[in-house]
Amino acid sequence: MASKSKADPNKKPKGRGFFGSIGKFFSDFVKRFADGSIGTKLSHFIFGAGNFYHKQYVKGALFLLLQIAILAFMILCPTINGTPYGYKALANLTLKNVTEGGQFDPVSGKFAEFSSNCQLMVLFGFVTIAVIIIYFIIWNKNIESSYKADMDRKVGKKPSTIGEDVKTLFDQKFHITMLTPTCIAALVFTVLPTVFMIALAFTSYNDPDMNAAGTKLFGWNGIENFKSVFTGEGSLGVEIKNRFLPVLGWTFIWAIFATLTCYFGGIILALLINKKGLKGKKIFRTIFILTIAVPQFISLLAVRNLLGEYGPINSLLQNLGWIKEPIGFLGQNPGDSEVLAKIMVIIVNMWVGIPYTMLMTSGILMNIPTDLYEAARVDGASTTKMFFKITLPYVVFITTPYLISSFVGNLNSFNTIFLLTGGSPTYPGYAAGGTDLLVTWLYKVTIEQGAYNTGAVIGIFTFLITATITLVTYRRSKAYNEEDTFQ
Amino acid sequence: MKKLFAILLAVLMTATMFVGCGGSSGNEGETGEKDDGVIRIWVGEESADFYQKKCDEYTAAHPEFGYKIEVKGMDTGSVAGTITQDPTAAADIFTVAHDNIGKLAATQCAKPITDETLIAQVLADNPESFQKVIYSNTNGQTYLYGVPYISQALLLYYNKSMVTEEQAKSFEGLREAAQAAGTKAITVTGDDGFNMSFALLARKVSDHSTTVKIYEGADPAAGGSKGECNCQGDDTVAVYRWLQTYAADPNGFKWPSSDGWDADLDKNNLGALAVIGGAWHYNTAKAALGETNLGITLIPTFELTPESVEGLSSVSAGDVFRGGSFADCKCFMINAYSAGSKYAKEQELLMYLSGKEVQNASYLECMNVPAYVGAADFIKQCFEEGKVTESQYNLAATQVSMAEWGIPQPFVTGTLNTYYYSKNAPAVLRAIIDQTAYPTTGDILVQDTTSLEGVRKALYLVEYLWMHGVAPKEFPASLPDKA
Repeated sequence: MASKSKADPNKKPKGRGFFGSIGKFFSDFVKRFADGSIGTKLSHFIFGAGNFYHKQYVKGALFLLLQIAILAFMILCPTINGTPYGYKALANLTLKNVTEGGQFDPVSGKFAEFSSNCQLMVLFGFVTIAVIIIYFIIWNKNIESSYKADMDRKVGKKPSTIGEDVKTLFDQKFHITMLTPTCIAALVFTVLPTVFMIALAFTSYNDPDMNAAGTKLFGWNGIENFKSVFTGEGSLGVEIKNRFLPVLGWTFIWAIFATLTCYFGGIILALLINKKGLKGKKIFRTIFILTIAVPQFISLLAVRNLLGEYGPINSLLQNLGWIKEPIGFLGQNPGDSEVLAKIMVIIVNMWVGIPYTMLMTSGILMNIPTDLYEAARVDGASTTKMFFKITLPYVVFITTPYLISSFVGNLNSFNTIFLLTGGSPTYPGYAAGGTDLLVTWLYKVTIEQGAYNTGAVIGIFTFLITATITLVTYRRSKAYNEEDTFQ
Repeated sequence: MKKLFAILLAVLMTATMFVGCGGSSGNEGETGEKDDGVIRIWVGEESADFYQKKCDEYTAAHPEFGYKIEVKGMDTGSVAGTITQDPTAAADIFTVAHDNIGKLAATQCAKPITDETLIAQVLADNPESFQKVIYSNTNGQTYLYGVPYISQALLLYYNKSMVTEEQAKSFEGLREAAQAAGTKAITVTGDDGFNMSFALLARKVSDHSTTVKIYEGADPAAGGSKGECNCQGDDTVAVYRWLQTYAADPNGFKWPSSDGWDADLDKNNLGALAVIGGAWHYNTAKAALGETNLGITLIPTFELTPESVEGLSSVSAGDVFRGGSFADCKCFMINAYSAGSKYAKEQELLMYLSGKEVQNASYLECMNVPAYVGAADFIKQCFEEGKVTESQYNLAATQVSMAEWGIPQPFVTGTLNTYYYSKNAPAVLRAIIDQTAYPTTGDILVQDTTSLEGVRKALYLVEYLWMHGVAPKEFPASLPDKA
């Protein structure tokens, strides 16, 4: 194993930083306006004007078309399901001018005016903001393009044609071409929904008194939903106050136990299977891999039936006369032991989780250089010492990122809990049962109770916790800090 | 070439995401505002083929109708939610349980029935109890929204091999059979507000009376007034105190197991000898017991004990009550986003589909119990003519009879449904039956649900939750006497 290098040759020089970049952007902006040609100055107001000035007609026309299209979008305010985009969507973001629907006209069979849909008002508002941001990016690019042509002219170069620009996109700027579709998809399918859901955390989404339907009209209510975690006065009542900390606590206990049991269980199993002299290694390995081949949800449902009230295990124990009443292994009924249910889910999770770690660790074990062990043996090291000084550090170093992702995955382990216990034992009056994790509670709060605003609050807390743990542990891990040193 | 291929692949993947997540293009029942010459209908999955056949017959017999009809089977339990999420993607006509009418009307997902002939047919054919719950209000104007075509009620399925017909008539008889079998007498299909209505809506047999009121007199025209609620009457207190004892009895009531109520009923497990469920549980109950062992009858009666009436003035030991039920109807509704030009034809079609002839045919082919007054005679006639089996006859006849012991879920405005089901009142009622504190953890609202005062306090909480959707900040020093 190589030692940690003292100097870091790969360390990047310090950049100008976030504020430095902003400062440079504005200084460039002023410089371009001051130094640019009349075309560049004009392109601050009319997209593509600079390109037209430099006779780059196709590029200029493209910029101009984009400006016209975005301005038309903003002014004409196209509507979907009666909800507008454009400047009206910005006004609608206040959620103040909502209508509760108009009169029904029996002759035409139509309503004079449909009820406002606050969900769409919020969503379209954010889409419009995204369009405005894109507008400014194109605006900057159009000025940049014209200014570049100015500079080319100054040094006696001919400004690039559209053909040359396209060629560049397939050559030096190929990364931009490749990343553009991905960025668009990420914006539409990840960023916008995330921003929308975060916004819902600040609304009275499920306030039943907002209108008779209780589904479409709502307003902004600041940080009330976050406060309700501590006061219990939100739309979810005392549930969030009384159940948040117990559920959070169990989520951590579960994640720690589920991760460590599967991790070390897998390592131990791999060591046993890879032990020198063991016959039928391949058969053992295949048997354990078979548990991966069976879809996880089938395994979990099978175990749920095994441990059920009328399942084989309870029946067997009853037939043997060891128990009179079925044991609520999975906390099936209110009043069943929460601790037993928690222990059972951790044990069952080992059954479905250990083979993955075993498989991965087997690969790592087979790749540990044998000369390390030979050298240790020559030095008189015992088997235990070799395990703790060679095997374990080697495995841990390589699997640290897996360990972290496994821990975060277990924090959000929906399948195991939902399919095994469904969160039981339940506490009448609360959606969150004894074995519910934040993520399964989130499912119940949103899908079953429609409290999307409270769900968004729980989601934000879950994100903050998982993101913090991931970042801190990963950045402090050897696998990150000594990325290039372990050979 | 490689670069071009990579770009095409990236663009294709992005385009696929947009297409996949985009809206449908009109062939999946999208109505929008356009009239494409097709009327689309969503009905229960079990009846889709039947209604498609009936619609085809109608269009063949009435070529002047001018529209093609497409029927699609949907899960009627969740269809109202689907429609409120995006009514533009829903069918022109859909079917829902009547308690969804208020919500769909208030969210302007449905348009009212305006055809005078259709309205006259609905009012002439349907019982008064159904007529009360198919109206809703739009901007101060009350309209008829739902066209009933199926009726539903809770009833009792029991194991005929272990329980005699006589024993199945009462909870006491069921307990006697359970003692002999060494098991529990009865279970339910769920602990929610609907399935537990058998206890809440129990009625005195001698005069069919109950003091329970759930949003009675709710007036949609007055901006969604909640009307009157009461669940603190002496009879309600006595019924729940009686049920506490019955649930604590080793051979009495049990909650459904996590393996499902059908596992309890299963002849191999013998977890419970009977279950209270709806007609939609018929096939599952039949699978659990086998058709020959499956008994179907009214929800049983029970006799109040001296302990259950102690301290109560309006009820006496020996008073006989029968378990009640929400007696519901399923209704056709018209999508508000369906093209205005289809409106008249849609109502014409509903005249036909909700007519007695189609309802009768629907009973024979799909076991849908008709909603119209006098359906019992037709059901009996079918049995006498050998058109249905005994258990099929029992299923329908019992539902019709149970309707006399029930009330429709009286939810004519949007939020009351949510208030009744989702604001934890069912959990409080369960805590009473289990004699546990409510809630069992956190800030306890009702510590004692065992004593008379405890039960009264818990029932006060239930009524408060129905009316306000949240628990009271404090309980009154002396609870109002609503006996």
